[in-house]
Amino acid sequence: MRTSKWSLLLAFIPLFAACSGGPSEQDELDTTQTTDSTQDARLQKTRNIFYNVPSPMETAALLKKAGAQYNASILNDVKNVDKYTSASKQALNLGVYGADLSYASVFNQTQESMFYTSCSKKLADRLGVIHAFNDSTLEAMESSMNDRDALLDIISETYWSMDAYLKENERDNISVLMIAGGWMEGLYIATQVSKTNDAPELRQRIAEQKLSLGDLIGLVGTYEGEDASIGNVKGDLEALAALFADVNVGGGGATLTQENGVAVIGGDAPTAALTDAQLAAITAKAEAIRTNYIN
Amino acid sequence: MLNRNILMNAALVGAFLLMASAAQAQCRSFAKNKCVPELAPYKFNESFNGAQLAPGEEAEVNLTFFSGQEYRVLVCAHPILGEVNWKLVDSNNKMIFESLADQPKKNFDFKAASTTQMKVVIWVPPMKGKTDMVHVGCVAIMLGFKE
Repeated sequence: MRTSKWSLLLAFIPLFAACSGGPSEQDELDTTQTTDSTQDARLQKTRNIFYNVPSPMETAALLKKAGAQYNASILNDVKNVDKYTSASKQALNLGVYGADLSYASVFNQTQESMFYTSCSKKLADRLGVIHAFNDSTLEAMESSMNDRDALLDIISETYWSMDAYLKENERDNISVLMIAGGWMEGLYIATQVSKTNDAPELRQRIAEQKLSLGDLIGLVGTYEGEDASIGNVKGDLEALAALFADVNVGGGGATLTQENGVAVIGGDAPTAALTDAQLAAITAKAEAIRTNYIN
Repeated sequence: MLNRNILMNAALVGAFLLMASAAQAQCRSFAKNKCVPELAPYKFNESFNGAQLAPGEEAEVNLTFFSGQEYRVLVCAHPILGEVNWKLVDSNNKMIFESLADQPKKNFDFKAASTTQMKVVIWVPPMKGKTDMVHVGCVAIMLGFKE
């Protein structure tokens, strides 16, 4: 048993090494403060979008509840981290690795969680989000590796700190790309998992992403025209939204009832579902977009 | 003289930006230290939803709730503002829950039977009595869920 553990550890060393090292070049994305006249509108829009886009951790928890299994082979290779020399790719893949980290952690894959943490930290360093993601974060995670709940709490706090740090420093464009990358990775994971575990509840969760997607498009749209990469992301999301157009989900009013002393909120909208054709189209599109982001 | 005015204006703008940034940082710190612990035993959804509000100001935000999940919606205001009013409304603006400043309820716990979008609306009541001071304080809207 001890030998197999060491073998596993040794096998992961090259992966871990891939996610360590120094900073690389920055590129075209403006990472400085934005102070134009639409700032107020953006702040309002950003607040709205953060409520509507589930965090990577929440999405991973929903997938687990829906019966999804863990599949390491679908996650972004940690060796890719050094490919991301442009700020836009770094921001997108900070979201992608963050979602992978949440997925691995929710499924209690602690060793892989550390690798994705290391990748996320590397990209955060390159983007200058060092304050929110420092060595003490890594140390705290290492010491909590056998305590899943503590580990999830640290990951949640780190994600929150990064998001807040970017907003406080008026770098919302980076935050938006990070959120878009994380959301896309969550949809990609869900659709890939559904290929081998096509449960109705999983289809329902994929269909419900239509709600988040609409808000995400609204947020990304406020930055359209300033950075080409953000305009491209909006185009990707709109192409995806077209495939969700006929999916009915979450509309109408809500009703409040009590069941055994617990408030229950129901709605009059039918349970969201996807046809085989809709699922196939969304799966293919999510894969194509995500492949573009990670390469 | 002109240069001096320019310098003064630049200094004022700089000071304003610094104060705004510091206020936002304080809001995050307030939310982290005072509000997040009140979500327990629900898991914080990781989103930073805080704003500096003054008496008379409003804020509203959309939330998506997924079927089968249990949630806690928590509104947490800095003591300088006193209690605030807030309500949860559905997409038709029908009120689902309300907390008024004179009968405050900090949080609302519920189970979502179906996936739905709702909105939290917050408004800070005017200060009682006459005062020349404008009190601005952090208001955080936190969402917790059970895994």
